Amino acid sequence: MLARIPSAVLQGVIGQAVDVEVHVSKGIPSFTIVGLPDASCRESRDRVRAALLSSKLPWPDKRVTVNLAPGGLRKEGAGLDLAIAVALLVVQDELTESAVDGCAFVAELGLDGSLRRVPGTLSLVEAVACDRVVVAADAYAEARLDADQEALCAPTLGELVRYLRGEADWVTPALPPPRELPAPAEDLRDVRGQPLGRRALEIAAAGGHHLLMVGPPGAGKTMLARRLPGLLPPLDRDAARIVTRIYSAGDFGVPTGELITAPPFRAPHHGATMAALVGGGSRALRPGEISAAHGGVLFLDELGEFSPGVLDALRQPLEEGVIRVSRAVGSVSFPAEFVLVGSMNPCPCGNAGGPGQCRCSDAARMRYARRLSGPLLDRFDMRLFVPRPTAEELFRGEPGQPTAAVRERVLAARRRAGRRGVRCNSLLGSAALEAEAPLAAEAARMAERAVASGQLSARGLQRVRCVGLTICDLDGRAPPLRGPDLALALQLRNNPVWLDRSYAGSHVA
Amino acid sequence: MSRDAPVPPTVGAALPAGGGSSGADRRTGCPEPGGVAAALLPGAGSTGSGEEIERPAAGFGAPAAGPDGGELGDEAYLAALASLAGMGPARLERLLGRWEPAEAWECLAAGRLVEAATTAGVGERVAHRWVRDAARADPAEIHSRHRRAGVTVTRRGSAGYPERLTGDAEPPAVLFGQGTPEVLECPTVTIVGTRRCTRYGADVAFDLARTAAAHGAAVISGLAVGIDAAAHAGALAADGAPPVGVVGSGLDRIYPRQNAVLWKMVAQRGLLLSEAPLGAPPERWRFPARNRIMAALGDACIVVESHADGGALGTATEAARRGRTVAAVPGPIRSPASAGSNRLIAEGCGVVCDIEDLLVLLDMERARLPLRLPSPDTRPASEGGAAADPATSAAILDAFDWMPATLEMLAARTGIDLGELSWHLENLNVAGLLARRGLWYERRAEGPAGASPGT
Repeated sequence: MLARIPSAVLQGVIGQAVDVEVHVSKGIPSFTIVGLPDASCRESRDRVRAALLSSKLPWPDKRVTVNLAPGGLRKEGAGLDLAIAVALLVVQDELTESAVDGCAFVAELGLDGSLRRVPGTLSLVEAVACDRVVVAADAYAEARLDADQEALCAPTLGELVRYLRGEADWVTPALPPPRELPAPAEDLRDVRGQPLGRRALEIAAAGGHHLLMVGPPGAGKTMLARRLPGLLPPLDRDAARIVTRIYSAGDFGVPTGELITAPPFRAPHHGATMAALVGGGSRALRPGEISAAHGGVLFLDELGEFSPGVLDALRQPLEEGVIRVSRAVGSVSFPAEFVLVGSMNPCPCGNAGGPGQCRCSDAARMRYARRLSGPLLDRFDMRLFVPRPTAEELFRGEPGQPTAAVRERVLAARRRAGRRGVRCNSLLGSAALEAEAPLAAEAARMAERAVASGQLSARGLQRVRCVGLTICDLDGRAPPLRGPDLALALQLRNNPVWLDRSYAGSHVA
Repeated sequence: MSRDAPVPPTVGAALPAGGGSSGADRRTGCPEPGGVAAALLPGAGSTGSGEEIERPAAGFGAPAAGPDGGELGDEAYLAALASLAGMGPARLERLLGRWEPAEAWECLAAGRLVEAATTAGVGERVAHRWVRDAARADPAEIHSRHRRAGVTVTRRGSAGYPERLTGDAEPPAVLFGQGTPEVLECPTVTIVGTRRCTRYGADVAFDLARTAAAHGAAVISGLAVGIDAAAHAGALAADGAPPVGVVGSGLDRIYPRQNAVLWKMVAQRGLLLSEAPLGAPPERWRFPARNRIMAALGDACIVVESHADGGALGTATEAARRGRTVAAVPGPIRSPASAGSNRLIAEGCGVVCDIEDLLVLLDMERARLPLRLPSPDTRPASEGGAAADPATSAAILDAFDWMPATLEMLAARTGIDLGELSWHLENLNVAGLLARRGLWYERRAEGPAGASPGT
């Protein structure tokens, strides 16, 4: 007696079709699962048995072998429960083969026979090799989101059997009504003072430039960072599909009736491990925070407190927009294109920046600055010092431009970038940059001075040009880059005082 | 001494003829004769350092020449003694108050622990380490390592020993040097200050040092970050008397690392001095000891900026004790970095506002000044300013109130767009009208203070 039921398992964020084969023969009653199941998969046996019995369905007292094909692929999670149960029902002739023909099953079983959602339902549904997929009721909206397959659902195993036998009609739960994209709760209008910080946010949003904010505690770094997603354009359809799948697979929040189009904002705590940040894990390869921030903002508050190894793991995804996680069990790629916003204090006491204010020793200050490796620092196109706003600014300062107005400029700038064939300027290659961002004579002289004085490396100059181009785009001007464009880009690159070389050094070198 | 351990026959040979008299000098600087304790010890010959000299009078080499071939001079033993962990000037003085360097080394190498501990006034643990290390170390090897590294080892009382230190109350027993010792024949000025300096302090230190060096005064400082580094950099920028760096660690232990370039340039063009042998780490206690050497070497001591409890005040005190002229550069009364230096002025020390004041302190005549100052900004002022709009530039300069300001502060005051403002600031910086340090812009006087001594 043999039955074969299609299902799927999750590999990273991608679903992989799996066939559940059940063979029942005479012999001492036993139940074996083969085909590289992990622990939660092997525990299926007990869940399935309890679910069948609670649903008043028979459990075969025979020798049962369950094979999960393909045999070479590791299976994780409990999503195969339902497929195993259905296969058992088929081999026991509780269900006819024709009743389940062309139908796949993706759900976890409760001991009472209820069906439960499994992470990554969206990816699993689109991976199965048939037209209809049965999922749990609470995963129905998600399963219908984006896949070609028809989604069906049932509350319990008993109900499901009735539907499959034709004793009852499939029940379709009501879908939540489509929501308007909520206006971002945090508006730039609330930020007083910080003209440079606001400008940097705008540039970061328009050009996709990574931003490092250095400043004393309470200066408003976090406040600024939280207003960045509101400036970003909504995710395009491709990005939305990817982000929705990542959220579904990584359990960063169950998607509801529609694709996620709001740019994500992820702010992991500085205790985050490497696996939590970039993805991975010892067995299940899960997407990390940087993938959850795909298309949006990854905000690392207190950058200096993250473990250096974790931070340096960001370098490759920052460069390539994708993270490849390799483990002994296999390797998967997660998309990870995000705007990185870091914030840290200038020194342990937090007060460096103004003349004579810091009480830290030089050694302590240097140790603190060293926590950020040079290569990672290099990835930040903008390094901004965020001073504490003065009382004047706080109480009598003009409220700034609202997010909506700034966002218009950002969208216009992104359209200009789009005409260059990239989503945003930070993705321009160096050859393209050379062609797209010519320097006016005065700007070229200034760039030459900056390079000659050792203030800027060749690569640094490229990045400054790129930021300058974004500034041009925001102002609605066509290149070449004028002096002020480059001057502001330079200001934004080497502002933090602790990044400067010592005073004496600048005289000698 | 030779009863306890075999003394190499050449030990005494290199001792200078003037050893007795310099020993007497030493005792004046050494408060503890070690008489009572020494008498209690078995094997202790006598209490005085000059008495038990059984060295052959003949055959010693030139005092400063050091060992050539098989000869092993006092320098070698002093270097070896100073190389021991925790051997500061005071402990070394106590040992030398009783013994000649070679004898002190013998005592340690032979493992006479209690005797050495009592004489040096240290605990058994320290003495135990000395004895252990001395048993392994070879003075000849230590000395030749210094020579290979191009470091001169100068014993107190020998020919190359700086004159200003000879008459000092606490002269170092041995000095390690790199560079040209003749620098010290110039008039000298010690310029010190805080490591956590402001732009103002660093600028003043730089300019004072540059003009002083251009006028032929050797600038002495400590090669620390902040004021020290600015002073050295200033002295190097002038085409005049080269600078002198007095450091706390061994001459191969560059500290702090960020001054590596400066350190090497001082050694190359001027003189680098240390009381510590090669390999000595920059331990905390070495720096106050270093300060006294700086104070003694300078004809005058200028504190540019010092916090209320700054180490520079220690140098000033040492200089005052030696009867050197002490002066300070006044700073803003609200600046914590000037609290110490301003208090010095309140207590009655001299005030240095420009190079004139400094030259008066040094009794230098203006007539013999070599006046070839390189301009701080060799770039033509017009180059950057050409594109800028003069009215805007003037408005920006007006927005400064002679205190440092950031881009954002200036933007708020002038209402100019951030990009335009950055551009103008950059041009003003290039034109030499502004100075920038990190975030802060400062208006510069027309030409840095005292840059043109002719006016």
